[in-house]
Amino acid sequence: MDPVQAPGVYEGAANVIAAVMLLIEFGMLRQALARDQIRLYMAQSALLSVLAIVIAADRNLPDLYALAALSAALKVVAVPLVMRRLLGRTDPDEGEEAPGVAGSQTLSPASAVLAGIVLAAYGFFCAGALGIRSPAAPVLALALATAMVLVAFGLMIVRRDVASQAIGFLALENAISLAALVVAAGLPLILETAFLFDLLVAVVVFGMLIRSHHTKAESLSTADLTRLRG
Amino acid sequence: MSAALPIPVIQLLQVLTVAVAAPGVTGVIAKVEARLQGRRGPRIAQPYYDLAKLFRKEALAPEQASWFFLAAPLIAVTCYLTVPLLIPVLTSYPLPLGYMGDILGGGFLLALASFVVATAALETGSPYAQLGSSRAKTFSAITEPVVLFVVFTVALLTGTDLPYALAATVRSSAGQVIRPAHLLAAAALFMVILHETGRIPVETHTGTNEFGMIEEARAFEHSGPYFALLKWGGQLKQLILFTILANVFLAPWGLASTQRPGAVVLAIAALLAKAVAVGCAVAVIDNSFAKLRLFKITEYVSAAFLIAVLGVFTLYLGGG
Repeated sequence: MDPVQAPGVYEGAANVIAAVMLLIEFGMLRQALARDQIRLYMAQSALLSVLAIVIAADRNLPDLYALAALSAALKVVAVPLVMRRLLGRTDPDEGEEAPGVAGSQTLSPASAVLAGIVLAAYGFFCAGALGIRSPAAPVLALALATAMVLVAFGLMIVRRDVASQAIGFLALENAISLAALVVAAGLPLILETAFLFDLLVAVVVFGMLIRSHHTKAESLSTADLTRLRG
Repeated sequence: MSAALPIPVIQLLQVLTVAVAAPGVTGVIAKVEARLQGRRGPRIAQPYYDLAKLFRKEALAPEQASWFFLAAPLIAVTCYLTVPLLIPVLTSYPLPLGYMGDILGGGFLLALASFVVATAALETGSPYAQLGSSRAKTFSAITEPVVLFVVFTVALLTGTDLPYALAATVRSSAGQVIRPAHLLAAAALFMVILHETGRIPVETHTGTNEFGMIEEARAFEHSGPYFALLKWGGQLKQLILFTILANVFLAPWGLASTQRPGAVVLAIAALLAKAVAVGCAVAVIDNSFAKLRLFKITEYVSAAFLIAVLGVFTLYLGGG
């Protein structure tokens, strides 16, 4: 059997960062508290910016440095701040966990991770079946991004609270940014920036959702909504 | 320093280094751990004194126990002393007996040692020893898939599953170090080693609390030289696992590439430095995390499994 050839140092580093982002996604899946999930989201977003810098250095795309800075400002600072304030405002006691978030798992952490592995495997094999073999699109990072999208969906499905679902959605956006970064690194800066502002819209929508759900149900859990059948 | 050491001498030195250094490494870790906890701690040579004391003591066996009870510690230590022949301890070039067995062969030897100790513990009829061996076997069964996936990763990386081949591959270029498959496999192996040496997530390796004891509980009924052999075996196992992690996965540098005595001595010093470094990292991790409830162990193992499986996935698409 022939050994699998090693990629170059830059591509290897990019792949390692993408793999760590996927691992952080799994961390969100098993983390019980919303504030820890937000912390993981910050780490994941920071890694995304690092990845942008690595790709910028590798392919000589100065635009990407600006994108990395913008993405870091938005996703590492602004969005977590807004999310924290949203969760804090719904909560009478500052610093305590928002109601309905803890204990919202429908699966035990170990089972959730195993289910996540199955989803990630599906993503990997789908990306592999596409048969992309080109130097411009590192297939591994693309496959990792696909797996991250599916695991983010899994996170939104296995949790019963609005906060985790919002974080799952934001992680999903991170995965898509990752895919965009590795497949179309040369995308004009203005387009990338526009996508980033889409994220802000999503955060506002989720903010409204969290607040309206909390005022109606006095909890962030969506378990009560299952009774509402047409 | 021009004379070359004969190959059999180097091979013997691999075993002797591990055999002699193992209690010392344990002593250093105990010292570091005590410092982290704000204690002065035992002196570094304490494990040697403990072993010397136990070797002078009388050996007793439970009445119903058969010959196997006394043979088990000897078999276990023999297994542990055979493993250093198979892995790169001192040299970067394979020694003649190094191809006797691959990574799985080494794994079989470690598993055989653990099996005979567990069986001897069953012979005693003591509830604590039996509890320990039953738990040890259960948990080693659930960490087995992680180890298997690490071996798969090694096989995909090198085309063989010989430890020497992986060490050579890692040394060959920076691209081999910064590739996700290699880093993920090393991380998963490190998690398994933390578990196997009784650090986290549930065990207390110091052995003062029966409910936290898994590996340590198995030796409850042994005494005198036999108990000393079991303790020494545990220390050997720890150093062997650290050697595999450092010399095969993380840092296969500083090994002797010639047969000159100077190079071999340097390699011994490098090995000890690496083992102590890994040991310090382990002690810091051990002291920074709370122990979990016993059945939370599946969460820990599932995380290690995830990392190991991802390693194989990344290789499946190539470029991992």
